[in-house]
Amino acid sequence: MDVSSVRSMPRRRWSESIIRAPTFVYMIVMILIPLLVILQDGFREGLGSFWHQISLPIARHAILLTLWTSAIMTIINALMGLMTAYVFVRYEFPGKRVLNAIVDLPLAIPTLVTGVMLVMLYGPQEALGNFLMEKIGLQVIFAAPGIVISLLFISFPFVVRSIQPVLEELDLTQEYAAATLGAKPWRIFRKIVLPALIMPTISGSLLSFSRAIGEFGAVVIVAGNIPLKTQTAAVYVLGAVESENRLGASAISILLIAFSLFVLMLANIMQKRWGAHR
Amino acid sequence: MIKFRWMTAFVVLFVLVTSACSNGGGAPQDDEIKLILGAYTTPREAYSQIIPLFQAKWLAETGQTVIFEESYLGSGAQSRAVVDGFEADVVALSLEADVNRIQDAGLISHDWKAGTYRGIITTSIVSFAVREGNPLGVQDWADLAESGIDILTPNPNTSGGAMWNILAIYGASLRGQISDVPADNPEAAARFLRSILSNVSVMDKAARDSILNFEKGIGDLAITYENEVLVGRKSGQKYELVIPSSTILIENPIAIVDASVDKHDTREAAEAFVEFLYTQQAQEIFAQHGLRVVNPDVAAANESQYPAVPDLFTVEYFGGWDEIMIDIFGENGVYTQAILQIQGGGE
Repeated sequence: MDVSSVRSMPRRRWSESIIRAPTFVYMIVMILIPLLVILQDGFREGLGSFWHQISLPIARHAILLTLWTSAIMTIINALMGLMTAYVFVRYEFPGKRVLNAIVDLPLAIPTLVTGVMLVMLYGPQEALGNFLMEKIGLQVIFAAPGIVISLLFISFPFVVRSIQPVLEELDLTQEYAAATLGAKPWRIFRKIVLPALIMPTISGSLLSFSRAIGEFGAVVIVAGNIPLKTQTAAVYVLGAVESENRLGASAISILLIAFSLFVLMLANIMQKRWGAHR
Repeated sequence: MIKFRWMTAFVVLFVLVTSACSNGGGAPQDDEIKLILGAYTTPREAYSQIIPLFQAKWLAETGQTVIFEESYLGSGAQSRAVVDGFEADVVALSLEADVNRIQDAGLISHDWKAGTYRGIITTSIVSFAVREGNPLGVQDWADLAESGIDILTPNPNTSGGAMWNILAIYGASLRGQISDVPADNPEAAARFLRSILSNVSVMDKAARDSILNFEKGIGDLAITYENEVLVGRKSGQKYELVIPSSTILIENPIAIVDASVDKHDTREAAEAFVEFLYTQQAQEIFAQHGLRVVNPDVAAANESQYPAVPDLFTVEYFGGWDEIMIDIFGENGVYTQAILQIQGGGE
């Protein structure tokens, strides 16, 4: 806090509350109350029932499937996102601005459309899907690979966009100095660039992970939704709602929220760390 | 403290604004009346033809214009919407359990099954859609248990309609209608259900999604309703209908929602509308849209398109929906156990 803000203190409190009060109310109404409602609903019959619901074999399988497909997506997203961001910031090439704009497109496309798109591309009746199936024996749609691909698509921007600003601000003089001293490009990347990018990569990846575990629209189209095989947690929740099992729906939802919260907090801590190091 | 007052002011403002907004709609005039129809999606096209006929009739008889507000959703979702406050005057749903839910919420207070047709307006049967020319030669349920056939059926947990398909398989086998499956043997019937379910490659979230996937070329066979296949073929699809020798009669109920018609003062028009749906004129339109109808004259006139099924049973065979929800689809129900065993059985 600098001198000027201390001088304007009385005024500042007044204006501050103008901004603050609506913010609090907004957050309480929009986020906190719905969360509390579901929390209350999931635990209304006690911990035992909650536990029973999440340990039903079909529910448990759905949760595990969601977690491992999201985890694979996160790893791929971290590596490819890092590369993409590096290429965008460090290289000039024709069409770069257009490509850069396209990065955010997955956020704007309804995820249901994403699902339909992927079925049209990888579906068993389509050329590419048929080729993969016949030649490699890889079933994409109505199987786990389809889930991973759809999650990759919808969460593509998260890693790229959290690395880009950091990379843009990175001081080039260190790299020049290293190069002058005879360091090879890979060594420069590993020793100077990469350390600065690890935190934003991880925090971006965690964001994409928490986005992915709740995904419904794309997954319900591509997954096949067979219980104990290709049914994810979000689709299971819909099934629970539709078949009057609200307790089950709320319990699984709480679990998903808890995972998201945990991961988001991790991402937050990482970001702070990285901020402090800079 | 200042902070607190601002918060209060904001809340008050928020409430004022929202309540001001909800006062918007004007009351209808005397020569106009509004009916809200909450329906499931299948009969949408039929209603779009029937409603203008009713409007003309009502106008001629009473001088009043009926404005229709129509909502089409999945049956379960529609039913829940009404329970949650969607004030439909008339609900037309795909299964009785969805009307019962509204009744249990206290919104339907009369005995909606009291009429001649027990509140049922149209029917259909569970049947198969197969590829053009029926290349696998599918004739009956037993062919669906053969290994190598790729079957589509929606997920019974997300699609109320999908429950019919499971009930049809289980019922047909329990009734001894499938060779090699002894009658009245739940164990054998469950085994048969498992052998069909293990051939299912995709369980879409709704019956419509399932047939759409089939139209895209996925799967060898879709377990679906007769009306879906008939409507699809009418619109140019090349797949074919196969009716098994034993199947379940799908009964689609219609009911007036007492709480809504009393509130809107629309009971008279709502009752006239439901009555109109049973007339020859309206039932004929349903029949043109792939649905079997309850009016005996119209049903008889359309018999060539809707052949009789040798062994047709209803949900009553299982003791009604309440029993079905527990015995078949409950946590330890036949279907749930079948799914557990298929995947647990080391596939």
